[in-house]
Amino acid sequence: MSLSNPLWCRQTVSKSPIIQISNLTKKFGNLTAVDHLNLTINEGEIFGLLGPNGAGKTTTILMLTTVLRPNQGTATVAGFDVCKSPHKARELIGVCFQEPKLLWVSTPWDVLNWHAKVCGLTTQERKKRVKWALQEMNMWDDRRKSVHALSGGMKKRVEMAKILIQRPKIAIVDEPTAQIDVVGKHRTWNMLRELRDEGSTIILATNELQEADILSDRVAIMHKGKLLVCDTPKKLKDSLIGGDVMEVQLEKEAPDKVFDELQAFKEVVTVKKIGSSQLRLYLNQVEAVTPKIMRLFYDRSLRISSIHMSEPSLDDVFAHYTGLTLEEAQKER
Amino acid sequence: MVERDLRMFLQYKFLLIMRGIWFVAQITLFGLVVNTMVQTAATEVGINYFQYYVAGVTIITLYSTAMFIGYDIFEEAEHGVFEYLLTLPVSRRELVLGRSIGGGLRSFVYVGPLLLVVLLILGVSNPFYLLVALASMFLFAFGVSGMSITIAVAMKSGDKYDILIGVLDALIVRLSTTMYPTLYMQRAMPAYAAIANFNPLTYASDLFRWGTGVEGALQFNPLVAVLALFIFFFSFTFVGVVFYERRLEGGSWE
Repeated sequence: MSLSNPLWCRQTVSKSPIIQISNLTKKFGNLTAVDHLNLTINEGEIFGLLGPNGAGKTTTILMLTTVLRPNQGTATVAGFDVCKSPHKARELIGVCFQEPKLLWVSTPWDVLNWHAKVCGLTTQERKKRVKWALQEMNMWDDRRKSVHALSGGMKKRVEMAKILIQRPKIAIVDEPTAQIDVVGKHRTWNMLRELRDEGSTIILATNELQEADILSDRVAIMHKGKLLVCDTPKKLKDSLIGGDVMEVQLEKEAPDKVFDELQAFKEVVTVKKIGSSQLRLYLNQVEAVTPKIMRLFYDRSLRISSIHMSEPSLDDVFAHYTGLTLEEAQKER
Repeated sequence: MVERDLRMFLQYKFLLIMRGIWFVAQITLFGLVVNTMVQTAATEVGINYFQYYVAGVTIITLYSTAMFIGYDIFEEAEHGVFEYLLTLPVSRRELVLGRSIGGGLRSFVYVGPLLLVVLLILGVSNPFYLLVALASMFLFAFGVSGMSITIAVAMKSGDKYDILIGVLDALIVRLSTTMYPTLYMQRAMPAYAAIANFNPLTYASDLFRWGTGVEGALQFNPLVAVLALFIFFFSFTFVGVVFYERRLEGGSWE
């Protein structure tokens, strides 16, 4: 069985908004966990919700899933207000929690079988899906083990399997690969992509920016309960002025005129000479400008011995907007 | 929810075994000794005290096991399972009803084998009466379960719940006819008897005695007792739903 099984297919992928969050605010005493959050999440996208621990990601998720009531603002899930029609909203959502919620029954099989029952699957369908999900998550051999005996990674895989069984219209996954090994991580990422391709909207809450960069169609970066920025990872990275860096080692020294010519390209922010024949260029949209730079060197008969290019990461985007690295932001908390 | 609560209950093996031992000890030690002490007085009102007491202890056991569901709620809150339950695609009403029924049912499953022993001791004079009594005991167990959920959700604190349940247990059990007839409460203090007449444990234990044919037990018309237990069940299940919705819907376990 695969995710593309026709039984589970929801092939219609549109880009209309499925979640709309307006001025959403949640306070715990004096602490404002989520501060006037405004977001629109489109149907059929993987939406990364990023930020350090304490940024407000989990609180936002708990409000969307009707576990917490906002102090201010509104959120609608497929048109259903989470405060006015919580049951309708919940029917569309499946959650993979950051901390696996398994400690009330004995085995992974029991956990998933019960979850499938509550989600209204028929006995036949339930057995099929539970078996399939356990196999997909590489937990089939451990299905009868006590949940107390499972490692952190195994528990997380069982938690993730709930989403695979439920196939919700909106899947919220909070740190889906925390404690999972590298192979498991790639397996989980592929599953999330397949789930998206089948029509589910996925909200990926994570503080692993690389994971978000790889998976997300769009990301929102949160810090101290506030939304800092929201766009596609590419646009966010491109928005950093001079974020792409190209270091070129030439076989001979470049004449000064070449510096002016390089500087004339609109994508080139700065050119620095860092050695007699070595240049460092700070660029925007490296893909667009690289051919032009190569052409210039070729025309000026400047032979290149090596090139090193580095793109900005979402860490750089986070640092740009907060003035802190993600690590510093975690500590600041 | 019902199935899940039953499964959870069976995980309390140690607690269940201890409760079983408590039950047997109450009957074979306390019951027999106290019976020899008070039988003369009980004869005045035509009661075999040992039989009277055994029926009462059955209801106390049913009550205390139905109250377990409250502890489950705190266990779930501690492990974060509560948040998971609140995100499930079921209404809060279904969640509470399922839990209330599950809590009541599992206490009945537990008391079932003990009940057989009790029926052997007490005997059955009228099977129809017994069926009515058992059905009423179901309502009683569901009601207690709903009450336990209501208190747990209202308290939102395991320590406070524990203390309150201890106090409630002392009051609700002592101010009922589970262990002594109303007549003696009346003699000790008339107010005791008045309060005991509005106690679900009184209705449940008196109905059980009536169902098993323990002499001189029933102070009420059985229909009134059944109706009272139905009101108890209905009220606490309803209150449980309202509390669950008000206190937890969107509020979680803050």
